[in-house]
Amino acid sequence: MKPVITTNNLTKRFGSKTIVDRLDLSVPDGSIYGFLGPNGAGKSTTIKLLLGLVKPTGGTMRLLDKEMNEKNRLAVLSQTGSLIEAPAYYGHLSGQENLKIICTLKNVPDSEIDRVLAIVRMEGQKHKKVRHYSLGMKQRLGLAAALIGNPRLLLLDEPTNGLDPAGIQEMRELICSLPTQYGITVLVSSHLLSEIDQMATHVGIIDKGQLIFQDTLSRLHEHSRSRLLLSTDNDEQAIKVLKEQGIPWEFNKGKLFLPFREDTMVINAVSSLVNSGIGILRLNEQQMSLEDIFLHLTGKKVSL
Amino acid sequence: MISLFSFARQLQAERRKGCRRHLILLPLLFLSFQILWGFWQLSHASEEELRTGYVLLFHHLPIMNTLLLPMMVSVTASRLCDMEIKGDTLKLLYTMEKPATFFDCKYLAGLWYLLLFTLGQGLMILAFGQICHFEDALKWPMLFWHLAVTISVSSVLLSFQQTLSLLSASQLFPLFTGLAGCFLGLFSLFFPQKIARFFIWGYYSAFPVASMDWDASTRISHYYEVPFPLTDFLLFLIAAAAVYQLCKSIIVRKEV
Repeated sequence: MKPVITTNNLTKRFGSKTIVDRLDLSVPDGSIYGFLGPNGAGKSTTIKLLLGLVKPTGGTMRLLDKEMNEKNRLAVLSQTGSLIEAPAYYGHLSGQENLKIICTLKNVPDSEIDRVLAIVRMEGQKHKKVRHYSLGMKQRLGLAAALIGNPRLLLLDEPTNGLDPAGIQEMRELICSLPTQYGITVLVSSHLLSEIDQMATHVGIIDKGQLIFQDTLSRLHEHSRSRLLLSTDNDEQAIKVLKEQGIPWEFNKGKLFLPFREDTMVINAVSSLVNSGIGILRLNEQQMSLEDIFLHLTGKKVSL
Repeated sequence: MISLFSFARQLQAERRKGCRRHLILLPLLFLSFQILWGFWQLSHASEEELRTGYVLLFHHLPIMNTLLLPMMVSVTASRLCDMEIKGDTLKLLYTMEKPATFFDCKYLAGLWYLLLFTLGQGLMILAFGQICHFEDALKWPMLFWHLAVTISVSSVLLSFQQTLSLLSASQLFPLFTGLAGCFLGLFSLFFPQKIARFFIWGYYSAFPVASMDWDASTRISHYYEVPFPLTDFLLFLIAAAAVYQLCKSIIVRKEV
């Protein structure tokens, strides 16, 4: 798939602090690209750079087959929709009036409003003042605004932030439907692996402004393969036995893990322990958290 | 270069944003106050003063404008910009329009209300002439220059207040600046000219078309026409354009 976003050595510094550090993004056409990273990693700044809201210190960007610069920025962005951090709205106006402003600015007919409101399922709320909307409704209105003009590319920065579980689920379903139903490529940022896991086809992981992983979700899963939490009546003795048998093990925060899931290896480990007189209390499968994946990818701990 | 059509669209969007903000009430409110003040002032005027009623108004109105308009301008700018700050809309708007064009359109939206006020003040002067039967004939150039000074000084204050309002998360500071400007402007009328020059809020009275002689022994005021300081005013307009560009560049350079 041809990339719709390509960045080359994209860099942003504020004073002496590097926020985005030589980023080489590649977002394939028709994908949902999960842009993952802890708070303060540089996700929002990267999205703002892509939208031309902040100026890069270095590097280049290509969006929708065009080199992005100050001259053609608005022409390129006319085929792009965005929702950055909190939704943008005029509280004293109704949802419909808010969207009319976007239609005027994007030079598209007002008839677009009903189409986008139907996509975000907000036809019934269009006459209500936005200041009376719930956060979830504001977020959906923000998505509707981003969809005006039928963009080819959508940039969403933490679109589920602050939503209740039902709102998160609804937003997630909406985002997942966009590439298949409307042919829109979506770049969505989040600091939650579970969220990206349920939406994305491709993943980029950013930490301290640097891209530390970029590939398909299935490739990420290879890095984040689950492990088994082993509870015994004598962990110390169990480790000794596993060592003797050459079976891999991990001991972290007072817990013993078997870093594999293959049936034969599990049988071998359990039988070795039982034969040595060690009681097995529990054997649970554990998914790696984002912290663990970071640790696995970078060898560094990160606080999320 | 932005096309005229595109600029008109962005101006229309600005008009749509102003819906239900009741901004028209602001010039009406301040104008109503000036009308009430005018009636009070003229009802206390002597026959001698009413004989030169237009000149009296052209002398008093700049002082009233100094006292009131900085506040009106700051409230107008604040009402127009507050919706962008509260709604966190700049990061969305700047993906659809250039920050410079946004600043221009926002400015024109505010200038419209100042223009309405200025025209209203012009009509008010004419109406006072008819109602109070001023004996002197209205000199149109005096009216023109009075209104030109009113709108020009207000427009400089608008670019300053709009910039403050767009930079401030809370509108308290720009509103306080407007209020402080009213008093500073008024006090600057008593400062030496060299110092008064630094207080833009007092410029409503800096380009007079009328002056006054006060005779302490007879307690009679005599109002008379003075030549309009055209050169100073033109220099002021050049400085006004520079102030506008400076304010715009501050907003354009600010990353959102």
